Amino acid sequence: MVRIYFAGIDLGSTMTKIVIINDDEQILAYVVHHTGAEHRHLANRVMEEGLAEASLSIDDISFVMATGYGRINVPFADRQITELSCHARGVASFFPNVRLAIDIGGQDAKGLKIRDGKLLDFVMSDKCAAGTGRFLEVIAAALGIEVEDLGGISLRSKQKVSVSSTCTVFAQQEVVNHLSAGVPLEDVVAGLHDAMASRTARMVQRLKVEPDVVFTGGVAKNAGVVKALEENLRCPVLVPEEPLLSGALGAALLGKEHVLKALARGETIQTGERRLDRATFFEKE
Amino acid sequence: MAEPSKGLLRAQEIYQDRSRRALELQKQGKKVVGYLCIYPVLEMMTALDIVPYRIFGDMREPITKADSYIPAVNCPFLRSCLDLGLKEKYSFLDGIVTTHICDVGSSLSGIWNYTVRTPFSFHIDTPHTLHETSLEQERGLLEDYQKALEDLTGQKMTKERLQEAVRVHNEQRALVRELYELKKQDPPLISGVETIRVIKAIQSIPVDEGNKLLREVIDEVKERNDGPQKKSARLLVWGSILDDTALPEMIEGLDANVVMDDTCVGSRAYFGDVELTNDPLDGLSHHYLVDIKCPRTFRTRDYTDVRKDYMTDLAVRFSYLRDYVRDWKADGVIMESVRYCDTHGYDVPGVRDYLDSVGIPSIYLEHDYTEGALAPLRTRVQGFLEIIE
Repeated sequence: MVRIYFAGIDLGSTMTKIVIINDDEQILAYVVHHTGAEHRHLANRVMEEGLAEASLSIDDISFVMATGYGRINVPFADRQITELSCHARGVASFFPNVRLAIDIGGQDAKGLKIRDGKLLDFVMSDKCAAGTGRFLEVIAAALGIEVEDLGGISLRSKQKVSVSSTCTVFAQQEVVNHLSAGVPLEDVVAGLHDAMASRTARMVQRLKVEPDVVFTGGVAKNAGVVKALEENLRCPVLVPEEPLLSGALGAALLGKEHVLKALARGETIQTGERRLDRATFFEKE
Repeated sequence: MAEPSKGLLRAQEIYQDRSRRALELQKQGKKVVGYLCIYPVLEMMTALDIVPYRIFGDMREPITKADSYIPAVNCPFLRSCLDLGLKEKYSFLDGIVTTHICDVGSSLSGIWNYTVRTPFSFHIDTPHTLHETSLEQERGLLEDYQKALEDLTGQKMTKERLQEAVRVHNEQRALVRELYELKKQDPPLISGVETIRVIKAIQSIPVDEGNKLLREVIDEVKERNDGPQKKSARLLVWGSILDDTALPEMIEGLDANVVMDDTCVGSRAYFGDVELTNDPLDGLSHHYLVDIKCPRTFRTRDYTDVRKDYMTDLAVRFSYLRDYVRDWKADGVIMESVRYCDTHGYDVPGVRDYLDSVGIPSIYLEHDYTEGALAPLRTRVQGFLEIIE
């Protein structure tokens, strides 16, 4: 039996993710890399790694769907679609009953209203880093701890303090004030997570908070933010095993749907000559 | 000598070099008077052969001087207008007419007088409600305005001259509506980007020249085969001022055509004629206060009738948008506003609730009135298009 393969690549502001699936929607390979300062140049390398893991070549892939901030600059992508639609599709594949998905990535936060796996409405944070992964990175750096450790530290908190601002700069100042006043680190970190969760909860309120609520993106790896979000939304929050992959997986799945629809219409899929070149964001061809 | 350009090309030339024609006319002895917003009654300028020249900002020029006078937490469009004034981009104007657009707009007229010092200025304190007394007030204000313009030009604004001006401006309104009719086709015969160029052009030249330009554009567009491509979505754009093509360019760079708008560099000033009343000031005051549907005017008279029923109130205020959507076969509405525009911002929830109630999808975009800041909005617009697909 001939198998068909699909790839989804999600070029986020902070992380680049790729997922390769077959026509049974099984994940054959996934790769997650820091996007880094070289930014979109990594796309081809991540793709090569994914292909190697799946023991496939680029010519085996029927359709490559790109998403994320860098989606329009992937030379080997057949189509681009926003991370909004891709996250919704990806999350629904993990949790079919999802009605609200929250994705907090490196530089923005999104709320997605989903019904029967389809995106109905969305809200996005503004261009400020407040309430995003970048906020946690800055605070962790100021505290001299690893961002990955923040969640565990906050769970030890007995009495979180109130952090009034989610402005990255002002919050940093508040943290220093609390610490110099002798507040334990875990209570300060729990306060920060609460401030972030409360900002997110306010943002998604317009979409109506109804279970299942699913939380994805890099920040969903932080157990402290998950807990704070549950408190602020007053409902359980589900997190997929690998919360970074929903965009790339959704892209691959939407790629598959696109191909099937085209085939049903009797069209052939013209993917053109696919070259694993570097992305061309900085150097115009 | 090269043949002067016509139609869309001419509109684009004026869009890119707006003051050229006004300066030529000024050299011939005509007065050029700048105006802010669409509420300064242009017919009264035309009646005295004044060239009305709309004041715009420039979203491609960083605001560097205006922040000393208007804090950055205010409308960036109005701050940009003042900034250009302070940078002497409007130093050629013989006068300026402002109205009480909003609080910032009203304050701007005073600040302009102190800082830019255009030789002649007049402020019309246009009421914000539709009570009978508001109409009386507007009419009285127009009488004062008339006297001020007569003093500026040394000419009498006779009833006949004003009636003729009303007629020519109504002709312009009809021509704009005729142009918008061509946007009903699929694909539309003229894009959202081209429409802004045309409207901005006619707001930079005398009305009779604007009418000639519109006629040329309509004739050209009707015959063209290089018009916009067919796209998956047809959109209506509602909102605050769009005096640059950047936003529609971004939208039309995606799989959508902007086929209708309700903005003030678009249809808003042209849908509905001024009634030719025996005393022209009656028709003019009614048109500018009642007929123009801009959120700067609270339509309280309507509200009083239905104040207990939110949805009926919304229908009274916004059902014209449903008609636009139906007639121009729009698939969705983009509500846009410059940041800190309270006037439009306060209407956004009502417009959204109304559109939701009649099943029209919408999205709200707030922007900083800078070209670069529009890029992040691309994902939102594309996401919206994916939803309504």
